[in-house]
Formats: sequence, C-alpha cells, structure tokens
Amino acid sequence: MTVAGIDVGSKFTKVVILNDSKEILGYSNIRTGIDHHKTVEEAIKEALKKADLTRDDINKYVATGFGKISVPFADSEITQVVAAGKGAYFVWPTARTVIEVGAEESRAVKVGEDGNIKDFALADKCAAGAGSFVDAMVRYLEVPLEEFGRISLEAKESVPMNAQCVIFAESEVVSLLHANYPKPEISRAIHDAIADRVASIARRVGIEDDVLLIGGLANDIGFIDSMKRELGTEVYVPDKIAPELVPALGAAIAEL
Amino acid sequence: MGKDVERLPQIKQFREWFEKRHEYAKEWKKKNGGKVIGYYCTYCPEEIFYAAGVLPVRILGSHEPESITRPYLHDMYCPFCHDTLAQGLQGRYDYLDGVMLAQSCLHMRQAYFSFADRVPNIEWSYYMPFPHGVNNPYAVEYTKAEFEKFKASVEEWTGTTITNKELDEAIEVYNKNRELMMKVFELRKAENPPITGLHAMEMVVSSQMVDKREHNEVLESFLEDLKDVEPNRETGTRLMLIGSEDDDRSFLEMIEHGINYPATFVYEENCTGARYFWDLVRPEEDRLMALAKRYVYRVPCPAKDWAVGRLFRRRFDHIEEIIKDYNVQGAIIAQMKFCDPHELDIPSLRKLFEQYNVKHLTLELDITQPIGQFRTRVEAFLEAMGEEDLFF
Amino acid sequence: MEVKVRPLDCWDDFKKYRKKYYENYLEAKDKGGIRWAGSAWAFDPVPHGLGEDVYSLTGEPYGATCAFFQDFSRECLENIERQGVARDLCGYMRNYWGSIVLDKYLLADGTLVEPFPKPDFNFTIHICCSHAKWYHFAAELEGGIPTYAVDISVGPGYMLDDKKIEYVVRQLKDAIPWMEKITGREYNDELLIKAVYAEADAMSTWAKICKLNQAKPAPLEEKSMFSLYVLNLINRGDPEVAKLYYKLYDEVESRVKRGIGALTYEQFRFLTDNPPPWAFLKVYRYLEKEYAAVSLGAIYTFGLGGGWIGMDEKGEKWIWEPAPTPEEAGVEITNRDEALRWTAEYNLRYRASWQHEYSHWIRKQETYQMVKDWKADAMIMHLNRGCELWNMSTLEVRDYLVKNHVPTATYEGNMADPRDFDEARTFNVIDSFMQSLGIEKIS
Repeated sequence: MTVAGIDVGSKFTKVVILNDSKEILGYSNIRTGIDHHKTVEEAIKEALKKADLTRDDINKYVATGFGKISVPFADSEITQVVAAGKGAYFVWPTARTVIEVGAEESRAVKVGEDGNIKDFALADKCAAGAGSFVDAMVRYLEVPLEEFGRISLEAKESVPMNAQCVIFAESEVVSLLHANYPKPEISRAIHDAIADRVASIARRVGIEDDVLLIGGLANDIGFIDSMKRELGTEVYVPDKIAPELVPALGAAIAEL
Repeated sequence: MGKDVERLPQIKQFREWFEKRHEYAKEWKKKNGGKVIGYYCTYCPEEIFYAAGVLPVRILGSHEPESITRPYLHDMYCPFCHDTLAQGLQGRYDYLDGVMLAQSCLHMRQAYFSFADRVPNIEWSYYMPFPHGVNNPYAVEYTKAEFEKFKASVEEWTGTTITNKELDEAIEVYNKNRELMMKVFELRKAENPPITGLHAMEMVVSSQMVDKREHNEVLESFLEDLKDVEPNRETGTRLMLIGSEDDDRSFLEMIEHGINYPATFVYEENCTGARYFWDLVRPEEDRLMALAKRYVYRVPCPAKDWAVGRLFRRRFDHIEEIIKDYNVQGAIIAQMKFCDPHELDIPSLRKLFEQYNVKHLTLELDITQPIGQFRTRVEAFLEAMGEEDLFF
Repeated sequence: MEVKVRPLDCWDDFKKYRKKYYENYLEAKDKGGIRWAGSAWAFDPVPHGLGEDVYSLTGEPYGATCAFFQDFSRECLENIERQGVARDLCGYMRNYWGSIVLDKYLLADGTLVEPFPKPDFNFTIHICCSHAKWYHFAAELEGGIPTYAVDISVGPGYMLDDKKIEYVVRQLKDAIPWMEKITGREYNDELLIKAVYAEADAMSTWAKICKLNQAKPAPLEEKSMFSLYVLNLINRGDPEVAKLYYKLYDEVESRVKRGIGALTYEQFRFLTDNPPPWAFLKVYRYLEKEYAAVSLGAIYTFGLGGGWIGMDEKGEKWIWEPAPTPEEAGVEITNRDEALRWTAEYNLRYRASWQHEYSHWIRKQETYQMVKDWKADAMIMHLNRGCELWNMSTLEVRDYLVKNHVPTATYEGNMADPRDFDEARTFNVIDSFMQSLGIEKIS
C-alpha cells in the first residue's frame, strides 16, 4: 500500500509519500496559497514527481494540519498532535519529548516507549513562540532568513529581551538597533526569547530525553542553541528527513 | 560643602544587602547557626520568628525571564508569583529552612504552595489564614488566636520557648527599624528631598533581607549623615508610587534619572516602601494582642481593603494624608500585571487623585519591563504636567 | 449512530423557578418588598429573616446568564472597560458592573429590561480577591448602596476551631441590626431558622444527587446539571428549592435503578474542572455527539452548591460523601445564635468549593478522589482565565493526575468573557486528546 500524508499549514503545505515498508518515496514542501485545494494539488504533484509515481499509485490520503477542510478527498485525518508524535517516533525512536514550532503555533508531545502519545500541550494565546515572530524579526534586522540563525551563534554575550510580549519585542529590537547592539547579539536575544516561550509549553509535558525538535524552526541553528541552553539538555533534530516534513510523515505512518 | 548622597557608605550598604541578599543569609546562618525562614507577604508577624532566633527574609524575584514555573502556575497569574517561584525552583533559596505565608492574595498563595511543595530544602512551612476583613471589629481577636497557634508551632519547630522577654526584644528591634525609616521618609517632605525613590526602595528592601539590629545601626548613622547631604539633582515633579512589590531598579532608575524631565519619588505607597513599615506596635500586657493590632490596623493591602457597613477604603484615607503632607504632584500607579486587588481599586483611586488635582499614570509591570515604551509614556506624562504650569 | 440526551421530567420546574426568581427581583418593589444583592455564596438565610418578601440577586449566576447571551455580555464588558476597569478581572463581575452602567437588567430568557433594579443593600462574603470589592465598587457605581461583606477566609473546614467559627458568627450577628436599620424591618428569628434548615437540606440533597452520577451509565450529564445546581446559588434559603431537589433525586434514582443513562449511548466518561465557558457549552454537546462521551461533573458542579464531608481529620484524603443536615446530625436549632452558628459552620466545613484555596494538596485529593469515585476515564480541564479562584492549583492538579495515570487534557477559555475563547483551538485539543487515547468518533 502506498500512502500520502498531507500536512496543510498556514504557511507551508507538506506531502510525504510512503510505501508498505515505510520507505520515503517522495516528498514536497510548498507555500500555502490562498486556495488551499490548489496548493494541495500542486504539493501532491511535486511529491509524485519526486517519487516517479502517479495519482493512481496512491492508495490512501491522510490529512493533518487544517485537515479535511483543505483536503476533502482525504480518507482520514489526524490531529497535528498525533501526527507530530507518530512522525517523531518513527524518525527517532528514542524521542520522548517532541517539540514542534510551526508558523502559527507551537506544541509539545510526550511520547512513550511504545510510541503512544502520553501527554501534550499546545501554545495558549501567545504568538511569541511561533515561526511568524521570526519572520517579523528578520525584517527588522534586515538579514536573510538563512543567516538569522547562524549569526546568533556569533554573539559574545546575552542581551536579555525585556519585553515579554511580541508586540513590545518588535519595538524593543528597534531600540536595540538604535543603541548600536551588534546584530549577532540581537539575533541571539530574539532566539532566546522564542526559546523561553517554547520551553514554557514544553515543560508542561515534562522534559525527558531525548528531546526532539521538529517543524520549520528546527532548521534554525540559533534556535537549537537557545533551546539547549534554556532546557539545559541536549536537543536533537531529525537527520533522516527535513524536520518540517515530520508531521506529514506521521500522518502517512498513521495509516500503515 | 554638602555630602553627595550617592557616596554615603549607608547607601552603599543598603545596595550591597539588596544585591547580595542570598550571600548575606548564608553568612548569617554560618555565623549564628540559626534557621532562616522565607516569607512571602508583609502580613507575616516577623517579630515572632525573630523572638525564636529565626531570621525572616522576604522572598522576592530577580526580574529575569523564566519558563520554569509554567508547568505549575498558569500564565494568568501575576509576574511576581512566577518570578518568586522561579527563584525557588532554580535553587537560589537553597539555604532556607522554611517558608511562611500570612494569607493575602490568591496569586501569591499559589506560588507559596508550589514553593513549599517543590523546593527540596524546605523542612517547615506554615500557612496562616490571616483575616481579610481587617476593617471589621472582630479581626483582631481572631488574629490573636492565630498568632497563638503560630507561636506554638514556631516553638516546636525551633525547639525554643518564646516568652514575653523575647517578644519584647523583637518588638523593640522592629519598632526601632520602623521609626528610623519613618524618620528618613519625613525628610522627603522637604522641597528638595535628600534621597530618591531608588534609595528609599533599597533602604526598605534591604531591611527585609537582613537582621534588623544591623539595619538599625546603619539607619542611625544614615540619618546623621543625611543632615549634611546637599541634593545634587533637580527634584522636579514630586511623584508618589502606588504599587505592590516595586523592586525593579531599572524601572525606578528610568523615571528618576533617565528622562529629560526631572522627577523624584517622594513616597512609595507599596510593600517595598511605606506600607511595609508604617505603623508601630503599641505596647500592651498581652504581647500577641499588641502584635495582632499592629498587623490588622496597619495600612492595608488592597487585597484586604473593603467595606463593612460603611463605604470606605482605609488605604485611600492614608493616601489622602500623604498627598497633603508630601505635596504630591503626580502619581505613578505601577500595577503588577493581572493583580486583581489593585485593579479593583484603581478606577476609584484615579477619581481620588483627580479630586486632589494629582495627575496620574498607570503602567503595567511584568517580570521585566519594556523600558523604552515606559520611557515614552512617562516623558509624555511629565511633559504634559509641565505644560499645565506654563499656562497657569 | 446518533447519540441523544434524554430530557428530565422535572426540567421545566427548575426552569420556571429560575425564571420567576429574576422576575421577583425586578418586581420586588411593586408590593413593598426588600431587594438585596450579593455573591451566590453570601449567607443567604440571614436576609430571609427580614420577612417573607425578601428578594435577592446573586452576582455570579447573573454574570453567567449575561455570558450566555453573548451580545449583551460584550456590550457590558466594553462599556465597563471604557471606565478604566481592567480586562483580566472576573468576567461575572464585569458583566454585573456593565449592567449597572448600561442600566439594563437581563432576565433568564434573555429579555432585557430597563432600568437595572437598585438593591436596598449589598450583603456578601469575601473569599477570592474580588468578592467583597465587587460589591464595594458596584455600590459606588450606583451612587452609594449600604454594603456589608463577611470575611470567611479562615482556612479549610477540617482545621476549623471555635475561634474561627466565632469570628464569622460575630460578623453575621452584627449584620442583622445593620439590616434592620437600613430596611426599617424587625428581624424574625423564626424565618432565619427556617431558612437555615432549608439551606442544609438543599445543599446536602444536591450532593446526594451528584453521588448518583457514579452509576454506569451516568443518569445525568453535566450541561444539564448546570441548570440544576444553580438553584442553590440563587435562593437556597427557600424550602421550595429543597423540595425541587427531592423531586429531582427521585427521578435520577429511578434512572439508576432502571439502568437508564443521560445519553442514549455512553462509551466514554470524563470529568471537567472549573466553571465552563458559558458562551460555548457546545463543547459538551460536541463530545456527546461525536464521541458518546458523558461529562459526569466537576468539583465546580458538585461543590459550588453542594455540602460534602470534605477532607478527613488528618487532612490526607478527601471524602465525597454528602454532609449531614441538622436532622441527620441530631442537632436542633431553636434560636438566632444556634442558627447563625449552624449556617457558619456548615458552610465553612462542608462547602466543597471553600476548601481548595488553602493548599494544592486539597485540590489534588478532591480531584483524584472524584476520578476514582465517579469511575471517570479521563479529565478535561477548562483553564479558565475568567476566575482566579477556580483556576488556582489547576496546573499542579494536572501534573498530579498525569503522574497518577489519569489521562488529562486542558483547553484555555474564559467562563464569562466570550472574546477570550478560541473555538477552533478547543476542538483541536478535544480531537487530539481523544485520538491520542484511541477513542474513535461515533459519527
């Protein structure tokens, strides 16, 4: 059986295609447009191309993220929590604390030895621990997104962000720039602030090794570094697959 | 040539005690071999601890962002309870033998419970149901009964007996501390007060961190030296600070030193200020009754200030007096985010200020402050006040 | 399969009583009656002694009704916020103040009338940071209403002693001449005694009804229970209320005997925590329809208006057994002093929702024992930003439950401020939770 897992996020739509032996045949990651149905079709098309397959080869579609609303033809849908947990356990069987930072929301999932979801926590009413905050910050710093994480590692000292709220944080960054703080220090401060908020959510399920980061922000080496320091423990990122694809993978796994 | 207050050794000492509070407590333990108790709220009858040879220190925060409390204490509770609990969970209070809370607000109560439950070195904890109805005539007798139970518990914990002798000694030390600080505050009625709000805060908070006998010695020489101090800054607008625990230095520094318009705090109506030490213990035969009266009748925390028959707030009566006595021109209401007791008073408090033509500005405090945004607001506030004088 | 909720026979009686209650307050002055306002936790029997025509408006149920009718609630909230009132304060209170400021009164069926009826006096208690100050500010908004608040924060029931009870009794004793002076009425101790007996009867009977929900299938579901317990929060000093509860008890007991559940199909049992998000009770119906999941109750539903034994003497375990009425306790109340003492002690000792403010441990035991006794499969907690008292200790309780292998989910919301509720996110939490437990949707 060949299964396609489709994760429709507010910023990106991801597709992962697996076969019976749970091998990754193809995948895609494209920007979510205003027309979700159109985006989904494009994403599937691209993943199929990579897999050298056609629509007829797919036996089942599983949707997560926005779910069936965006993928009306899906055979089943699973919640993001379950998708994250299952996907993480598959790519990293020793993962016990899975932290996903998406564009709009963060979540933490506690996974048991058997791969079952034991507990979870979702971000409550706060944008400071989400990817969209990064987008805003990168604009102020005027650095390319790819550089944003790397330069934070060059910081020689920690400059605390005093504002607890994203809205205030934006103008605080402007103040720091005017006060001539170097960009690496400011970048580190921003990453630390995000890590602080994300850690708050993760702590609710309890920090247990291994801690695995998934979702788009797991590509940011500055963020990984901030999380390590905040949690005081090693933090891993999947190596078999891009971290933002893990929930789509988890959706497909759910059906196999 | 007058003295510069910043160079006074006492100011340095207050600041050192303020900054190195944990080191002080650890030293004290080593030197005295006694127990150290952390208390949360200033309704704690410290004299009873002191009489048993225990050093009471106030648990305050460190104004650093944290995430460690979030699994145990919901985000909707105030920054102070998160900050203080974080100190405990991070091991900064690893020298405390016990914690105590004389109940006041709900937020602090939760932080206290989690602190007592989770900080491993806490061997003794005591929750005192101190009355909220401090404006009703039966609160004193009830409080006295609670103090009796409390005293017995402290005796059992420390293996001591607290007689009238020890209580009298403790009351004497504490009363002296209160009197001396009241004398310092008196000096701020002057047209050019010799100290700023920042100095006052460090003086009061350091008193909450150390053996008050030592603090009294420093206060006495402080009062002497203050006679020779010549203020070297413009007083500017005379401000009153309304709040709870306002020990964030960056906040006070910004207002008194970081703005183009001069301003000075001449009185702090909060519990890291006057509310901590205003009102003495008046001696009577029944020492516990004397203590009960002092703590019930002191200027109340907003959490306990409400109507019993008549519509009045005792704290407001006190504020009215201070406005007149200290010639207060403006008020900064520094409200801890999510603090219900203050929020319930603030609309009526604003009306009171307007009655007396005292301009007011409300700022919401968090664990750390957005100094940039606050500066803008305070500057606009002070500037507007100045403009009014221009057109008088 | 379609899961339906079975209606109760005495449902209409409860609805009628509640409707009449709010009308009585409105019409009180038509025949020269007395109006008083206060917390639902105020010592309700005391003003009963002023006569047979004494009508109350309890603040929290009124605030909840406002929240249910969202549009009016928004209007109240926005108006009072314009007066400088902070947004994170108790939602019930802001709805009530908003009503005063708008000068509009909401009846149980959503009808709005003007003006907002003015009470002769405010009589309330103080337990959370808001309670007494609520009515203090309300009195100011109304131009100065005589206001008397009773301090009851003397610690948990199992630690009561004579001095604590005396402290509360003396305050109540003083309230009576104060009320006489304001109303010009002569106090009638017989009416007080009658009301005190009625209060214990109503509260203990509600507890007995809640206990019946331990049966499988559960004869009641929580959404309906909200409309049933509330009578103890509006007028428990009226013997009619206890009578209605006897009637309800008989009906529920009959269901248990015949094995009839509140839902036509029950596959999952859960408990909740905190007052619910009043504007979004659809959450309960969603769980019933999609998952045949029955909500059995909560500390809130059982304990807000119920009398329970509570913590044992040592303060170790919680006992969910109904509290004794005076008859059951072998106590005879013959005069004012005895009446005041009984009502003070009964409430301080047995009112379940006056216990858990004094330690995390009490709330943990209260909750965990409830899960065991009511045979719940899980706990779904409403992290209620609208009430600081009810949301106390909830995260510590959550941690305790998870460590003791009780599956627990949480969703954020606000009992009384509809703007603070995220519907999509809440349904996501519910679906994620059920999925993680392997519970499939029925539909």
